Amino acid sequence: MAEVTDSIYRDKVKALSLSKRLLLAVSIILTIFLGFTAFSLNNAFKASYDVTQHKQLKNHIYMLLTAAEFTESGTINMPSSLAEPAFSTPNSGLYAQIVKENSTVWYSDSLLGRTLALPNIQRQQELFSTIESGSDKLLNLAYSVVWENSKGQQYDFTLHVSQDLKATQQANHEFRLNLWYWLGGTGLGLLLIQILILRLSLRPLSVVADDLQAIENGAENRLSQNYPKELNQLTHNINTLLDQEQSRKQRYKNALADLAHSLKTPLAVLQNELDTKRGNVLHYRETDKQLEQIIKSMDYQLQRAATEGRTTLQGPVAISQLINKIAASLDKVYENKQVQYQSELDITLTLSADEGDMYELFGNVLENAYKYCTNRVSVSIKTDEDHITFYIDNDGAGIPQAAQADILKRGKRMDTQTEGQGLGLAIASDIVDAYQGEIRLGKSQRGGACFIITLPKR
Amino acid sequence: MRILFIEDEAQLREQTKAALHQQNLTVDTAADGKEGLYLGLEYPYDVAVIDLGLPLIQGIDVIKQLRANDIAFPILILTARGLWQDKVEGLDAGADDYLVKPFHFEELSARIHALARRASGWSNPILSCGCITLNPSSQIVTNDDIKVELTAYEYRLLHFLMLHAGEVVSKTKLTDHIYEQDHDRDSNVIEVFVKRLRAKLDPYKQLSPIETLRGRGYRLNLSRQSESTLS
Repeated sequence: MAEVTDSIYRDKVKALSLSKRLLLAVSIILTIFLGFTAFSLNNAFKASYDVTQHKQLKNHIYMLLTAAEFTESGTINMPSSLAEPAFSTPNSGLYAQIVKENSTVWYSDSLLGRTLALPNIQRQQELFSTIESGSDKLLNLAYSVVWENSKGQQYDFTLHVSQDLKATQQANHEFRLNLWYWLGGTGLGLLLIQILILRLSLRPLSVVADDLQAIENGAENRLSQNYPKELNQLTHNINTLLDQEQSRKQRYKNALADLAHSLKTPLAVLQNELDTKRGNVLHYRETDKQLEQIIKSMDYQLQRAATEGRTTLQGPVAISQLINKIAASLDKVYENKQVQYQSELDITLTLSADEGDMYELFGNVLENAYKYCTNRVSVSIKTDEDHITFYIDNDGAGIPQAAQADILKRGKRMDTQTEGQGLGLAIASDIVDAYQGEIRLGKSQRGGACFIITLPKR
Repeated sequence: MRILFIEDEAQLREQTKAALHQQNLTVDTAADGKEGLYLGLEYPYDVAVIDLGLPLIQGIDVIKQLRANDIAFPILILTARGLWQDKVEGLDAGADDYLVKPFHFEELSARIHALARRASGWSNPILSCGCITLNPSSQIVTNDDIKVELTAYEYRLLHFLMLHAGEVVSKTKLTDHIYEQDHDRDSNVIEVFVKRLRAKLDPYKQLSPIETLRGRGYRLNLSRQSESTLS
């Protein structure tokens, strides 16, 4: 089970686009990095703030010591007002007390009505701590001093200066807010820059994809040479592959042409030889029939071998122009018939297919129409999202019911076919099959046969 | 009727030439595109038969160049593979019909006759002027349904005159169309042939089918019969 989910996950990761992968990685790294930065900056700020606070409280202690007047009897006199006005304002947040042997001997005016839980410290010590007063938290510096009078008697005093933490918390809060703003902004900026960099550096890849699309559409024959050197090896290989495919096709076509030529010429000589000697001799008739058979089978099989069928990287064929061109040729051949050819084709219509295949398909079907029409042939189309359907229609006598079933059968045994019918249509049927299309026989409104050919657009 | 036959395969060429001769057609042959183009530009043929796969100059280019030089005789193309792309390209370049190899002689000669008829405005395979009919495939000539025996050259002469019935045909033109390129020509012979033809077609001198136009040539004066008036 775990393996299954694991593999699904792996597939998902595999399917992620390059830019998404990079973006995901960068986002994770940025988040970790900026989070860590925020954490350490926050800590550093807190530490330095505490040090400053500590120093400030110590300054207050020194100020108090300067203001204090110790008597010979070990008492202490404080002036009525101190240099720091916050000590004189009640609830100002800054408080001071002087403690001698666990009893407060002096406190600042600001402390009126408050009691602070003060820590005890040893002689000669200094303690920086957090204390509580009701719900408030305060920073407190306890500082112990020893007063020695002229008789050598020593008195211990502890000076306490407390600072309300509200102000500190405020400062901390503001700092954090600032920190998040800045880091967030920086992170966002970095991310945007990263996206730009990604776009810029991955752009050649989309250029390659576009160029491949152009080859597929038949707009280009090969990939252009201007790619970054990291891609050059790849595009070079694709080009080599395309060239090889092209030359393989050409070789194949040439080989078929040579084969056809080298077989047909001696056959023609043989047939002509028979023609001149035939007469009514039965023996020659049989030979002639067999020869006819060989020629027919050869034509059919050569044609089958030449059918390209659907391949990738196939350019579009201007199918309407091709059909009209064939019709114009047939107009010439069947000039005596004065055939009226009617085309209801969108001249901009294209179809992704091999041009030679389309010539064979429509040449054979149209020739059949011209051959058997009285004097009208028409071609019309219907298109839907994925298919184009061609209707090739004539006003002839139509095809006899008995022959209809056989006429489009692929690879039908040649010796059972009726003369004149079949070979061309069998080839047409084969080609349609190679394109996963469909060829049917319908009834023409004009009384003749209507061939209905459906081909997928892509 | 004089035919130009351009085919590179020697055996096929000679065989076909012999067979067409049998049909009383005058045939000049060429083994490559260059020679064929030269002949086509130089002599007035009635029909040319051109193989598409030729050495030196491709068949398609021979056709294009002939047409570019305003040579109007009908052209029949021969193709070995019978690819539609080739046929359409050939017809587009200026050919008028095609035949896929291998072919029967009957088929070839029928196509040649059809093209020649079409070019001179005949629609019926049997040429018929007045009471005289000529069947190009059986080479039988009849006058009022009675068979007329003609020699090869008399037949050729009548065939050409009938194809161009109603038109004035010069002696040179007749010579050109009934003799092969390297044949010894003598225009006086034409006069002899015409005289004999007249005697055979019009033994009682009632019809005078062939008119002599002094200094210009001959004209077959009988009106062309279309299919409907025939039957």
